Amino acid sequence: MSDYRILNTRAPRVDAWDKVTGKAQYTDDLKRPGMLYGAILHSPIGHGKILNIDTSRAENLPGVKAVITWKDVGTQPYGVSPARYDETIFCFDKVRYVGDEIAAVAAIDPDIAREAVNLIRVDFEPLPLVLDPLHAMDEGQSQLHEMYDHNICAKVNWNFGDIEEGRSEAAILRTDSLSSKMQDGAFMEPQSILAEVDGADNLTMWSSTQAPHYIQRTIAMALNHPLHKVRVIKPAVGGGFGPKASCSTAELAICMLALKTRRPVKFTFDREQVFLHGRARHQFHHTMTTGIHRDGTLAFLEHKCILDGGAYASFGIATVYYAGSLLGGPYRLKNMKYDGYRVVTNKPACGAQRGHGAVIARALFEVQLDRLAEELGMDPVELRLKNVMEAGETTCNELFVSSFGMKEALEAVRDSAAWKRKRGELGQTRANGTGIGAACGFFVSGAGYPIYRSKTYHATVVIKLEEVGGGVTVFSGAADIGQGSDTVLAMITAEELGVELNDIRVESGDSSRSVDLGAYSSRTTLMAGHACREAAQDVKRQILQAVATRLEIPPESLEIKAGKVISLTGEIDFSEIRREFLQEHKGFMDTPEGPELTFREASRIAFLELGSVVGTGKYKPPPLGGSFKGATVGTSPAFGCSAQIAEVKVDLETGEVSVERITGAHDCGFAINRTQVEGQMQGSMMMGMGEALMEQKIFDSEGRILNRNLAEYKIPTSLDMPHLESIIVESNEPNGPYGAKEVGEGAIMPVIPSILNAIYDATGVRIDELPVTPERIVEALQKKKLENEL
Amino acid sequence: MALPKFDVLCPDSLDEACDMLESHASEGIKILAGGTDLLVNIKLPVIAPRAYVLESSTSQLVSTHSEELWKDHSGPLAPPSPAYLLSLHRLRNELERIEELPDGSLLVGALTTARTLQMSELVRLKWAALAEGADALGSPLVRARGTLGGNICNARPAADLFVPSVALGAKLGVVSIHGYEVIDASEFALAPGKTRLQSGQILVEIVYPASPPGTGSAYYKLAQRKALDISVVGAGVRLTIDSLLKITSVSLALGAVGPTPIVAKTVIDVLLGKKLDDSTLKLAATAAASDATPIDDHRGSALYRKQMIEVLTRKILTTAYLRARRSL
Repeated sequence: MSDYRILNTRAPRVDAWDKVTGKAQYTDDLKRPGMLYGAILHSPIGHGKILNIDTSRAENLPGVKAVITWKDVGTQPYGVSPARYDETIFCFDKVRYVGDEIAAVAAIDPDIAREAVNLIRVDFEPLPLVLDPLHAMDEGQSQLHEMYDHNICAKVNWNFGDIEEGRSEAAILRTDSLSSKMQDGAFMEPQSILAEVDGADNLTMWSSTQAPHYIQRTIAMALNHPLHKVRVIKPAVGGGFGPKASCSTAELAICMLALKTRRPVKFTFDREQVFLHGRARHQFHHTMTTGIHRDGTLAFLEHKCILDGGAYASFGIATVYYAGSLLGGPYRLKNMKYDGYRVVTNKPACGAQRGHGAVIARALFEVQLDRLAEELGMDPVELRLKNVMEAGETTCNELFVSSFGMKEALEAVRDSAAWKRKRGELGQTRANGTGIGAACGFFVSGAGYPIYRSKTYHATVVIKLEEVGGGVTVFSGAADIGQGSDTVLAMITAEELGVELNDIRVESGDSSRSVDLGAYSSRTTLMAGHACREAAQDVKRQILQAVATRLEIPPESLEIKAGKVISLTGEIDFSEIRREFLQEHKGFMDTPEGPELTFREASRIAFLELGSVVGTGKYKPPPLGGSFKGATVGTSPAFGCSAQIAEVKVDLETGEVSVERITGAHDCGFAINRTQVEGQMQGSMMMGMGEALMEQKIFDSEGRILNRNLAEYKIPTSLDMPHLESIIVESNEPNGPYGAKEVGEGAIMPVIPSILNAIYDATGVRIDELPVTPERIVEALQKKKLENEL
Repeated sequence: MALPKFDVLCPDSLDEACDMLESHASEGIKILAGGTDLLVNIKLPVIAPRAYVLESSTSQLVSTHSEELWKDHSGPLAPPSPAYLLSLHRLRNELERIEELPDGSLLVGALTTARTLQMSELVRLKWAALAEGADALGSPLVRARGTLGGNICNARPAADLFVPSVALGAKLGVVSIHGYEVIDASEFALAPGKTRLQSGQILVEIVYPASPPGTGSAYYKLAQRKALDISVVGAGVRLTIDSLLKITSVSLALGAVGPTPIVAKTVIDVLLGKKLDDSTLKLAATAAASDATPIDDHRGSALYRKQMIEVLTRKILTTAYLRARRSL
């Protein structure tokens, strides 16, 4: 048990009541007087030159207030990474995927807006499609962007240590590959936007976003609107998982419509548009050669990856780096070579998604470890334990791990899942339909650098006391997208100020409240947590100073505990302050009683002494990482790690996989809220399970997504979910607030490989293409049977 | 979700429903039962602008708007939205029921929901394939609204209530202003989404033949997840055995392996007069596979489907045979 009153408990979420009673307001719930409705015209073809856009019929439709195309918004390029601004708000010369945005309409009701969009005529000269990422770089392929020679949007060539030396020393080496399909974030709430402009040109946009700060900057930049006159507010958000971290054409178009019509405009994606817009997980094609010494220690990794990025860069530069850099841990690996190529194709752009860039790479590497263990005749868990890093070590690509409960996590799942009893001798596979598999993971706890080059703080927090006394409001730009960051900020504030959780109000997700780079790269608890702690301590210092001044005692002799100011140096007479408070509150029925000074009285005194009491806190990581090209991606003030064991049953005739049990352990440093940490672990297990077994966007030969709805794009249902066991490992991270670090994304890292390794144990066959559908299993089993007969 | 404009008609009696169907037939009218398929099917797509192509010898042009000689490049057009939906919800007293008739057959009203079928002990005991079809359908929300009649009239080849109904030899009772007609479930579907139902006709009841001692049935759905999924292959069977455990009648239906649920006819000859041993099972499985002509689509390949017909045939025959023996 910890010494904390509030932290490390299972405190209920601060938004629980509103969410379960349906009171929580999501963007689509919002209405403004005189509000118009937006609609967007998407390209029906995958690749083509725009010859002509005729909006006249749409403009003449009664009820239409504005129709905008590139002619109205210009062709200022924008994007996520400043080095790859390759998008314009609307297409002007070319369309590059089915769904690419050409025009937008604002009308008095959604039906008219939609009808108007269908009245816009666009003529195209079709261009050859580039759909296969493995051939996108070939000579003679159609080029999507002038700026991307051979359709290569980004490439990475890294060499750490000496892989030739590693190769010469290795006793066993093997080469394997694994590919995946493009995915969707499958969050519950489709993107929704409401924009409004006031008489002073202040533009306010409410949006279902993960990153109000970046969206604010992109809007100001792309629309050439003063940055300080753009305010982005994130209402309640129903999940993000990455795709909502970048600014979308829809956000820019709706702001433009609001500026043009001077009326509020709202627009909500249909689920079909969520799929068309994309910005979710890339398609990966990994090939790895891993070498190992006879004793099971790793010798080297040679890794190549081709990423299908879809039509635009989005977050993809970071993605291609992450796909390589995060294999630096959690094992001691001296020699690592990585060649990554992100190509563009005529499909919806891909971006960040939980476990950014690293998930499929991790899956293949962990599969390789199992296969190497099998060749060595060694238990795969033992092989991993032999290689795991410890706190204080640095990876070959210069990532320093300041806390690291990898060994503890792996041992915890091994013992809790009764691995040794179930797995049998020396890791031999059973191929009898029952399987168990293990894997580990490694992830950043907040990206070390912002997306644009800047010395900006990553998070600031402002805490203000209610002048009337008793209440505390936390102002933060941090985006609670369902992961629970508001609750984390409230808990930290309550802990520091010694008050109850329900005395704290959190106003967050608003670019005008403070700076926060957003909910991505699993940063919020560590970064906003640091800032919040500092702000709360600042406020507390001021309260105690004010009370001490009144009582003419040193402030060090006072402390706030459980809502009461107590003296550390014997009894103090608070009666003068009490009398003053009672005088101010004649007729009030809830006046303070008892011998101790309440927080209410103390905070009122602070106001009377000091005026409004405001505390501020800030955080940015120290300079991190090596000096090689791309060294910044993968850096973090702390690293999370995780281990997992999956148990499956496979019907060897139909190929159906039933995941029976998942045991996971994650090192989150310190659990601010134990229930929320488990929630992130369990959400990761479900998401990873879907990615392993079901999820894929299926394209036809024209680049259209065939399964652009949640009936045909499959994620696990509750019936598919097995028993989940979540073990929290706490390694006390020195760079995290109270020792805390990430759990939001790291927990997904071991999910896919643990299931793949379990399926191998159950079937004796390896599937090198995700998702592992029943059909792929049957195919592999039959192939193996044929080979055995020959 | 954006829906097209339509009016909803709510008749209070079957007669009134038949009249309305007849009088609005020319404007386009669709029957609304649970709505779990219909409302999804008439939903407006976002990519409404279609791509029309003009091909000449020198160049190719594509446009979101059509002119003469331009070819629609966006695949089949969705059928025009109906002007009316005829909602049957006021006829539930009449059309939502499960009743064992004096001759031992089972009458199920067309508005009976999958949920009600699931909960019926009678159905589960004697017409297990239908109960298992209901178990496999959609999700709790879909099962609470989706009806047996709707599932059959929607005529998807994978329909989880339709396929077992065909296997169980169901007869469909249909009314119109011209009177009552009975159609065999096995002959009801003509193509995906198309049935023998004439304009003006309403499916009102489904009658399943009696389940005498020695009868057993089973349905198996092969899908990618355990709920809210469309089968890659579905298979249902009903069989009766005599006291010597020899099969005296059998009917096996397959889903998602042809344009409609299909009856595997070759299986009958293989099984009649036989006990179900390993070699018979194997022959029956091969026979069933030869009866189907599955295609490749994004849910599964034709080859996998063919193979799975064999596997599923073995599974359901084994289960149904066991149930038949238990009921002797």
